[in-house]
Amino acid sequence: MQVYKAFFRIIQKNLLQIIIYVFVFLAVSISLTIAGVNPVQTEFTQTKISMAFFDYDNSSLSLGLKNHLAKTGRMADLADEAESIQDALFFREIEYALRVPQGFAEALMSGEEAYIEKISVPASVSEVYLDNAVNKYLNTARIYISNTEGLSQEELADYIAADMEKSAKVEVNREIEELTLSQKAGNHYNYMAYSLFAVLILGVSSVMLVFQSQDLKNRNLCSPITLRNMNFQLILGNISYAVLAWMVMNLPSIFMFGSFMFTAKGLLLMANSLIFTMAALSISFLISILVTSPGAVSAAANVVSLGSSFISGVFVPQELLSDTVLRISSFTPAYWYVKSNNDIAGMGEVTAMSRAPIFNNMLIILGFAAASFTIALVITKQRRIKKQ
Amino acid sequence: MVIKVENLVKRYDGLIALDHFSLEVREGEIFGLLGPNGSGKTTAINCILSLLKYDKGTIEVYGRPMTPDAYDIKRNIGIIMQNVAVFDELTVYENIDYFCGLYIPDRKKRKELVEEAIDFVELNKFRNFLPKKLSGGLLRRLNIACGIAHKPSLIILDEPTVAVDPQSRKKILEGIKELNKNGATVVYTSHYMEEVEEICTRIAIMDKGKVIALGTKDELKGMIHSGEKVTIEIFDYSSNILEEVRSIPHIITAEYTDNLLVARFSKGKNNLGVLLDYLRSRQIETGRIYSEPPTLNDVFLEITGKELRDYAKGVQ
Repeated sequence: MQVYKAFFRIIQKNLLQIIIYVFVFLAVSISLTIAGVNPVQTEFTQTKISMAFFDYDNSSLSLGLKNHLAKTGRMADLADEAESIQDALFFREIEYALRVPQGFAEALMSGEEAYIEKISVPASVSEVYLDNAVNKYLNTARIYISNTEGLSQEELADYIAADMEKSAKVEVNREIEELTLSQKAGNHYNYMAYSLFAVLILGVSSVMLVFQSQDLKNRNLCSPITLRNMNFQLILGNISYAVLAWMVMNLPSIFMFGSFMFTAKGLLLMANSLIFTMAALSISFLISILVTSPGAVSAAANVVSLGSSFISGVFVPQELLSDTVLRISSFTPAYWYVKSNNDIAGMGEVTAMSRAPIFNNMLIILGFAAASFTIALVITKQRRIKKQ
Repeated sequence: MVIKVENLVKRYDGLIALDHFSLEVREGEIFGLLGPNGSGKTTAINCILSLLKYDKGTIEVYGRPMTPDAYDIKRNIGIIMQNVAVFDELTVYENIDYFCGLYIPDRKKRKELVEEAIDFVELNKFRNFLPKKLSGGLLRRLNIACGIAHKPSLIILDEPTVAVDPQSRKKILEGIKELNKNGATVVYTSHYMEEVEEICTRIAIMDKGKVIALGTKDELKGMIHSGEKVTIEIFDYSSNILEEVRSIPHIITAEYTDNLLVARFSKGKNNLGVLLDYLRSRQIETGRIYSEPPTLNDVFLEITGKELRDYAKGVQ
């Protein structure tokens, strides 16, 4: 196994450059994971809606309604004039105005139709939100009125206020937690595409460039080692190196995401990255045949890895990329790899149906691997024939 | 017969590199392939080693046809090519071990052979050096060690001393003689006639893809009309001397430049004595006197009308 051993000695000589790429990947991925930055993560922050409340009833119920709305809205001091209300709505000083007419509470208590007037920004989220809050208050009042006899306005307002104070205890369930973790893992695996590509192009091309130098090639061809044996050792070296690189890249994810990596989703992410490694290996092999100098190897490693990563959604989510860019990137395995990672990360439950598109993408990536390898073999054969 | 090549023809896009080239290399000899650059030496070697396909002819090594998959034959061959072919990433020891390992799978035996090769080329002090740290001469010695570590019975050296300092060249030539003494058959190609003359037992002179002369160095020199070349330092030269010198029997050419009279003789007895007698008779004072027997350059010159030496100078 002289060729195999020499393969790794040459890799060893380029180790520093390779380590830099691995280090950059880990540094970026770990820091983003620790910081909890997620390009597709949705956040919730409670905000208060500005509103105006005009109370012409001045009853306990109208006051109770005002207090209830004040919990979710910010009461603006505004004159009850059509023009000033419209101006305030237009400039978004308020988003909702509510007018309680005189006799509202009495009508409500006697079971007659009770009206309140509202003016709001049309079809806005705040409109729906405050409508819900008003309806909730009035519906609760109606339930008490229709089921309790001899109830005074003050008592009713107190009951409703007590009910509105009640809140349900919310616990963050495991499914949501896992979704966050799987998104983090998905992002980590997306970044991996760049490093895997760079590390493989750099390593494979450096070694193949040496073995393809005409003088060394001639010396090897004059030896009694068969061409098949030599190619076998070289291919074995390439595959070993690729698997080693994949393992090195995957090891930190086990430390970072722990037992998640042994769930169906974690294993799918790992399998996807292994398939992508094979495609990157094939493309690296093709590049190694096309490049002619060590300088060109570095350039190819940067251009191909960074280029395909940028257009495939490794650094920027695919949702933010234009259709044209995505159409172009669909001719790279990185696109399908990232697509699968995103699908896996966003999956609620892993079922046969949800797995199917992932496996399809994997087949496409394997197609890239087969195509690149075939082209490389054809070029090699053509060159050999031409030389002789 | 170790190598037998018959009527080899190799064309590159219509250009004939080997034109019915034939040769036989016998066991135990140092066979020299001498010729200017572009004469077809390397092409011939590459065809013999099956690195190149050829258009016509046959090649046999150890009595069997040489093909790219003749691995049993390849096992007995060691090659040292014109360009240094070693791994820049491996140390001196690792390089020799790598190439030896292609022939010798047994690790223990290989270790012994690698040590022997390192001793042979005297690279012991540099065994852990990377090739880029070696001088040109040491690099050539490493190149040789990589080719001979497995103790081949046939060693093919294609211009192994190109761009090598005189000291390293001397060591390399001594090494080749020693390898031959130890039983190896050697094929040595060069455009340096002095090297070929010094070490080769038989020589084939090549030009334009053909062997134009073949034999021992004495046989080759015996093929030509030229005898010795005499150089005499003359201080009081007068123009009519040259005409008279040219009329002396056996003198082929005579020239005078920079106080030196250079006369070429055809084969004959007492040529130098006759010339000196003439100069004495004309009371011409002489300084240093040299007489050189014909060289392979003279052989090449007489056969082709071109100087072999000029080609060699051209590439240095």
